[in-house]
Amino acid sequence: MDILAPLVLLTPLAGFLVNALFGRLLPRRVVGWVGAGSIGLAFLFALLIFSQVLGGQKLDQSYFTWWQSGDFNVPFNLYVDALSTLMILVITGVGFLIHVYSIGYMREDSGYSRFFAYMNLFVFSMLLLVLSGNLVWLIIGWAGVGLCSYLLIGFWFERTSAVLAARKAFVMNTIGDVGMVFAAFLIFLNLRVLDFQGLFGRVHQLPRGGTVITAICLLLLVGALAKSAQLPLQTWLPDAMEGPTPVSALIHAATMVTAGVYLVARMHLLYDWAPTAAATVAVIGGVTAFYAATIGTAQVDIKRILAYSTMSQIGYMFLAVGIGAYTAGMFHFMTHAFFKALLFLAAGNVIHAFHEDQDIRHMGNVRAGLPITFWTFLIGTLSISGFPLFAGFFSKDEIIRAALSAAGSEFWLGLLALITAGLTAYYMFRLFFIAFGWEWLAHDDRHLHEALPVQTIPIVILAAGAVVGGYIPVASFLTPVFGRAVEVGTGAFIGLAALSVWVALVGFALAYLLHARRPELAVAWRTRLGPIHTLVEHKYYIDELYDRVFVRPGLALARFLNEVVEPRVIDGAVNAVADFTLLEAREFRLLQTGRVRSYALVTLGGAVGVLLIVIWYLGYLPWRSGA
Amino acid sequence: MVVGFAIVAAWELVTAVGVVAFRKPMYNALSLVANMLGLAVLFLMLNAQFLFAAQIIVYAGAVMVLFVFIIALMNPETDISFRPRGTEWIYGVVFGVVFAALLGGLLFNRGLTGRTGAFTPEVIAAAGNVQTIGIALYTRFLFPVEVTSVLLLVAAVGAVYLAMRRIR
Amino acid sequence: MPVPAYSFLLLSGVVFTLGAIGFMVRRNPLVVFMCIELMLNAVNLAFAAMSRYLNSLDGVVFAFLVITVAAAEVVVGIAIIVQVYRAGRQMDVDELDLMKD
Repeated sequence: MDILAPLVLLTPLAGFLVNALFGRLLPRRVVGWVGAGSIGLAFLFALLIFSQVLGGQKLDQSYFTWWQSGDFNVPFNLYVDALSTLMILVITGVGFLIHVYSIGYMREDSGYSRFFAYMNLFVFSMLLLVLSGNLVWLIIGWAGVGLCSYLLIGFWFERTSAVLAARKAFVMNTIGDVGMVFAAFLIFLNLRVLDFQGLFGRVHQLPRGGTVITAICLLLLVGALAKSAQLPLQTWLPDAMEGPTPVSALIHAATMVTAGVYLVARMHLLYDWAPTAAATVAVIGGVTAFYAATIGTAQVDIKRILAYSTMSQIGYMFLAVGIGAYTAGMFHFMTHAFFKALLFLAAGNVIHAFHEDQDIRHMGNVRAGLPITFWTFLIGTLSISGFPLFAGFFSKDEIIRAALSAAGSEFWLGLLALITAGLTAYYMFRLFFIAFGWEWLAHDDRHLHEALPVQTIPIVILAAGAVVGGYIPVASFLTPVFGRAVEVGTGAFIGLAALSVWVALVGFALAYLLHARRPELAVAWRTRLGPIHTLVEHKYYIDELYDRVFVRPGLALARFLNEVVEPRVIDGAVNAVADFTLLEAREFRLLQTGRVRSYALVTLGGAVGVLLIVIWYLGYLPWRSGA
Repeated sequence: MVVGFAIVAAWELVTAVGVVAFRKPMYNALSLVANMLGLAVLFLMLNAQFLFAAQIIVYAGAVMVLFVFIIALMNPETDISFRPRGTEWIYGVVFGVVFAALLGGLLFNRGLTGRTGAFTPEVIAAAGNVQTIGIALYTRFLFPVEVTSVLLLVAAVGAVYLAMRRIR
Repeated sequence: MPVPAYSFLLLSGVVFTLGAIGFMVRRNPLVVFMCIELMLNAVNLAFAAMSRYLNSLDGVVFAFLVITVAAAEVVVGIAIIVQVYRAGRQMDVDELDLMKD
């Protein structure tokens, strides 16, 4: 396994190098299949690792010393256990399907090779993040995925909106990075280790629930919040939809945004030891899930609805890991990767079919023209809404069950999660009905074409995953990492399951009523709930708030520094030195009279001075001692 | 001996004042010649016969002759008035007086210091003044002699160049 | 030697000072030059005197070299002054300030 692990890393890196250096020279087919093939190859290696991990193997291998100064020693080491195996399987598996899809989706784009290069670089960075065995390399991978996110959001860089969105994402990510780095500082200061084995061994040296460990966990959380777009660092994710749809699928749905969840899960020993921080994680997760779901009900851009849906589902994952249900959180991560990627890719097909129009009110009557897309999207919607027997039902249910069955305040979070599940069903089916159009809506004469097989086959595979994924025994697979999950009695199990199914059905019914059967009711309710609707539609005005509080003062400060400090203080200091030199030079020039006699005077004066010094040094003056 | 010294010293002082004070440059030059001759006598008194000869031959005989010729060439009668312009002359006199006072004071109270060497007059007389100085020049003082000869070369070249320059 | 050393040195100092004063006060360049020669002579006297009183040859040799250098200097200086004269400029050191900045 110690060879397989680096191989998993190196194949996407090789793909990146080939496409970055030679992409413009190679024919399109080669570029596309090199890009996708490298990820596919990585997936095969990941499968081999998986088979070994199933047999109980683990890896914590150091390959070379990267940085050493004094007792600060950072090797390049990789850590493979059940958790990282799950991650790499999802990343390479779903990533491979998305890359194959992109071969068709991006075929008309002029930046084709650049796209695949960036995507491969992203997969490499993400794999580095999850396979890293110490905090330093994790942060390096963290920064790498942030960079690729920036590059890919701003892929169509001639568009101002895309560039601004990329910048916004990057700035928020950097805030998170600062938190991560400070956490690393604290860890090293207190425990003098940065690799996971050492760290996990020494955590218990710190006082449980003390300031230090809580601070570390909260700082790590800042990084996780930024990367996973949870409150309060969530505003960048909807704007990130400016990037091409495969980017949204891979980075902003299946993998990068889940890095925060992975971080908390990996550091679970730390979070177990700092209950306050863990509670913060759970609360933020639950609140964000609800918050995002409410916004999703009022949006009209198909990708934005899916973005808020992602934000909401990740909130579920954070809730899970916050209350200690790590296996539930990771299970939901896996199923979410399946159905969210599916939803995004299918949405991509629809967007292409409607000539890049993303407004769902302009769409409709899709079933005839794009049958495969239609049915797979429906499967995805059913899964995310938690309909029984679909994957989403199992994973979401586990989280809600864990929350409701726990003691104390977690119960309320569980209740919130339950309500959010209903909202999820509602807005997803609202999207489905409006965009995909039940047959009796949208009498449209537009001739819509289904997408290429290279685009539809991956979606079908993902749809299969969205259905059967719920039966994969993730919990038992992850037992070596997290310990046994808490068991609930059969009665409670069935009761809670029924409850969540009922909630989902309510959401579905509401959506059916308002958007399929009686659209005029929807309009009426919108005017009734006018102010609430506006509030939700404008995302609770948080973007505007941040603009007022952070952006404008920041710009004003920058302008001040540029116009006042720079010319006056900094340039002023430099100019003052020059002016002073000139001034002194001008005065010294007066000495150069060119007249012999003044020179002679000065010379004689100097001679007198020398004499005086000699006399002084010899220690007497003529009029003191006798002649 | 003391009387002789007193006379020559008086001669020196008078001619020195003459060099400084006369209005016609020819008189200044002649005063300087007289001064140098007096100096030569002093050298003789100090048992520096070689220097005595060198002073008369080189200094009084060549340098001053050059001076006199040039003054004669350049219309010796015309001279700018001795009336000094500006206030620098006051500084000059003041400085000079101060300088002299300091020198004098230094001399009187300090007395003689310095390492006594081996060349007493008897030793020099045994070998001969010129011979002794000659040996010293070519052994101990060889480097200064060589440098001085380069200097003379440079001066000669410079003089030729300057004399050849066309005035515009 | 009945004459004490400091007499010679005193004489040398006075002549030197006279030369310095003359150098600063006179305006005719030739006279200024002569004052310089006066100063050099005074220094030679000091050298010779100390050479005698310390039984050393160094002073005399040095005085001889001073004579040589003075000769070279006079040559070049006179050449310059002659050129100034031939250029028709005033023979006044205060006027000859072309080397100023």
